[in-house]
Amino acid sequence: MRPAPRTLALFTLLALGAASAQTVTVGLDADPPRLDPALSSAFVDRQVLNQIFDKLVDLDQNLKIVPGIARSWKVTNGGLTYTFTLRPGVRFHDGTPLDAAAVKYSLDRNMTLEGSARKNELSSVKEVKVINPQTVQVTLKQPYGPFLATLTDRAGMIVSPTAAQKAGADFQNGPVGSGPFQFVSRRRQDNVTLQANKGYWDGAPKIDRLVYRPFPDGDVRLANLLSGAVQVITPIDPKDISRLEQNPKFEVLNYPGLGFQGIWFNVTRAPFNNKANRQAVAATIDRDAVAKVVFYNTVKPAAGPFAPGTPVYNKNTRIPAPDLNAARQRLGGRPLTFTLLTTPGTVTTQLAQLYQAMFAQAGINARIQQVEFGTLLDRADKQDYDALILGWSGRPDPDGNIYDFFVTDGSNNQAGYSNKTVDGLLAKARAQNSMNARSATYNVALNQVNSDLPYVWVYHPNNLVGMVKGMSGLKPVPDGIVRFKDADLK
Amino acid sequence: MLQFAIRRLLSTLPTLLVVTVLVFGMVQLLPGDPARLLLGEEATPAAVAELRRSLGLDRPVPEQYFRWLGDVARLDLGASVKDNTSVGGLIADKLPTTLQLAVFAMLISLLISLPAGILSAMRQNSWVDRLLTLLALSGISLPSFFLGILLIYLFSIRLAWIPASGYVPFLEDPGRNLLLLLLPAVTLGVPTAAVLTRYLRSSMLEVMTQDYVRTAHAKGVTGGRVMFKHGLRNALIPVITAFGLQLGGLLGGAVITEQIFSVPGFGRLLVDAVFTRDLPVIQGVVLVSAVAVFLVSFLVDLAYAAVDPRIRYH
Repeated sequence: MRPAPRTLALFTLLALGAASAQTVTVGLDADPPRLDPALSSAFVDRQVLNQIFDKLVDLDQNLKIVPGIARSWKVTNGGLTYTFTLRPGVRFHDGTPLDAAAVKYSLDRNMTLEGSARKNELSSVKEVKVINPQTVQVTLKQPYGPFLATLTDRAGMIVSPTAAQKAGADFQNGPVGSGPFQFVSRRRQDNVTLQANKGYWDGAPKIDRLVYRPFPDGDVRLANLLSGAVQVITPIDPKDISRLEQNPKFEVLNYPGLGFQGIWFNVTRAPFNNKANRQAVAATIDRDAVAKVVFYNTVKPAAGPFAPGTPVYNKNTRIPAPDLNAARQRLGGRPLTFTLLTTPGTVTTQLAQLYQAMFAQAGINARIQQVEFGTLLDRADKQDYDALILGWSGRPDPDGNIYDFFVTDGSNNQAGYSNKTVDGLLAKARAQNSMNARSATYNVALNQVNSDLPYVWVYHPNNLVGMVKGMSGLKPVPDGIVRFKDADLK
Repeated sequence: MLQFAIRRLLSTLPTLLVVTVLVFGMVQLLPGDPARLLLGEEATPAAVAELRRSLGLDRPVPEQYFRWLGDVARLDLGASVKDNTSVGGLIADKLPTTLQLAVFAMLISLLISLPAGILSAMRQNSWVDRLLTLLALSGISLPSFFLGILLIYLFSIRLAWIPASGYVPFLEDPGRNLLLLLLPAVTLGVPTAAVLTRYLRSSMLEVMTQDYVRTAHAKGVTGGRVMFKHGLRNALIPVITAFGLQLGGLLGGAVITEQIFSVPGFGRLLVDAVFTRDLPVIQGVVLVSAVAVFLVSFLVDLAYAAVDPRIRYH
C-alpha cells in the first residue's frame, strides 16, 4: 500500500520540524538539588531556576538593575516603600495570569514557607500589598539598600500560585513559572529537561529544548564537551582553559565573577586569637603566584570582599605583596604551628600545598587536613578549627558579600569575629540608599577588618564557561548564571 | 532442597536486623549536619534549626532508629531530604539501571574469561598462557576510574564512536541503551573477567589432574571432549562462588563506574546522597544492597547444588 500524498507531506513536515528542533545540553558541576525558589540553597539551582522563573527585576552585564516582570518601580517614603508596576498580559506556563496577587503570593511564600531559605534575605519586609492588578507595593521595616538587588535572585522569582498551592512541598519537582523555558521533567543525577515557552512575553527563545546534566568531575565534564555530548559546560577547570582555547571547535567565556576566596582564622582560640599570628600568616601570601600557578591567571588577586567591576570596589585598593621579613618580625621568634583545614580535590590540594610552602618560608609550620565539604562547614560553624580555606560565590549587592561574614554572630562569620565599630558600620551601610555613601561606609569598615584580619582575601575567581563554536547569545552577567533566552546554536 | 532454602532464608533475618542497626549507626557517625549541608551558603542558624526540626533530626537517635525501622517493616523507606521524593521510588527508579549494567558487565566478563581461562589451562606455561596471565593481572590492577577515562578518551573523543555519557531506558530505545551502557559495562566487567580467568585457569588445572580425567583419557576420549565434558563442569564449581562474590562486588564497582560515565544508577544515587548527607537515601540504598548481597549468596548456594550432584543440602 502506498501512503497517500497528504500523509507523506505530513511526515515530511514532521521530519523537517524534528530536524530543526534544537536542543542545547548543558553540563553542570552538580545535580541541582531543589528547584523551588523558596527552598533552593545551592548555587547550581540558580542556573536552572533562572530559565523557568521571571524575577521582579534582573541584572545586566554591568550589574545594573533592569526591569524584569516589574516594568518600572518607584522608591518613596525615605526608602521604605517600593511600588512596582508589572508588565500586563503575562501568563505562567500553566495559564494562570501573572498579576499583583501572584507577586504578593510569591513574596509572602518566600517569607513564610517552612524551610524557606529566603526568610533572611526578606527579613526587612514589613508588608506586601496589592494596589491593583498591575501594581504591587512593598513596605520595609527600615530602609534597606540591598533590597532591589535581592529581588534579582530567587527572592524575586514569581511562582504560579495555582501550581504552588496544588503541589505543596512537591513544587520543587514540578516548578511552574513564567520564564523563557518551562519545566518538562527531571531524573535525579541524570537530567533536568526544559522546553521553550513559545508565548514568552519578551519573545520566544531561539532554541527549543534545554537539557541540564550533572557531571561532578571536571575531567568528565570536559570529556563530554569534547565528545559532543553537551554543547555548554559551566564551570571549566582552569587547567583546561588553554586546551579549549587552542581547539578551533570550542570557545571559552572567561569573565569576572562576584565571589571571593581566602583563608579564615578562628579568632576564638589559640593560635589565631593572637592578631600578630594572623598578620604573620597573611604577610607570607603571594597572591600573584597563587593566580599564576594554581589558576593559570583565571582569577584576580584580592584584598577585600568586593570584586573589581562591582559598584563599591575601591580602585585604589593595593594588593599586598608577600613580606617575609614582616612575617618573621610579627612572630618575634615565637614558633607558629597550626592546622589548615580544606576539602579534597585537585585544585584545593594544590592550593593548600602552595599556601603551606609560602608559610614555611617565614618558618610557619602548617599541617594540611583534608575533610569532605559537609564536615568542613560543620567544623567551621562550631569553630572547631585553626584556619580553613573557604570562600563565597558572591552577590550583586555589596551587603551580600560582607554583612553576614563580619557582623557579630553573623551566619557566615566562621571566624567568631566581633567588633562593635564594624557592626555599627555594616548596619549603617545597609540603611543607606546611595551607593556612593554605602561605598564610603564599607571602606571604613573594611580598613578595620583588614587590620583585625579574621579573614585574608586571596583571589576573586572568574566565571568560566566552555562551549562549542556557533553557540551565541550567552551574555556574560557577572553573577555567573548563564541565561539561555537569547541563546542560539548555528 | 526446599527446606534448606527456607531455613537459609529465615537465618538471614537476624543478620538483616544487625545490618539495620549498623547502617543506622554508621550514618550517625558521618560528620556534618544534613540540614546545614542542604542549606549551604544561605544557612542561618534559625533556618538550620527549623529544617532539623522538620526532618526529625532533633529527636534522640534511638527514637529516630525505631521510627525508621517501623517504617522499613511497612516497606516505607522514607523521603529524600533533598527533594522530598520517596526513597523507595528512587531506588525502584535507579536499581534496574544498575542491575542491567551489572548483568551486562557479567556477560562481558564471562565472554572474556571463559575462553581465556580454558585456553590458559590448556596451553599451560606457553606464551599464550603467559600473555593471558599478564593481561589478567593488568585487568585486576587497573583502577576502574583510569580504565573508564581511557575508554572515553579512545572511543568518545578520538574515534567518536560512542557518546561519553548519557542514559536512555532500555524500553525507550534498546539499541541506544546498549550502546550507551557498553563502555561502562566493559569498565565494570574487565576486572571481574580478570579475576574469573585466573580462577577458571587454576580450577581447570586442578581438575585435569583428577583420576576421572585420567580414566577418561585412558578410555580414549579426545582431549577437547575431556576438557569440556569432564573438566569444565567440575572446574566451574569454585568459579560459581567467585562469580557470586564478584556480583556483590559489582554493586560496589558501579559506584565509581556510574560516576565516570554519568549513568543515573544506584551507585550514583549513593554517592550523591553521601555528599548531601541525605540520610534516608543512604540508609535505604545500603539496606537494599545488603538484601541484594544476601539474595545473591543464597542463589549461589542453590546453583552449587544444581551444578554438582555431590552437593545436597539436608
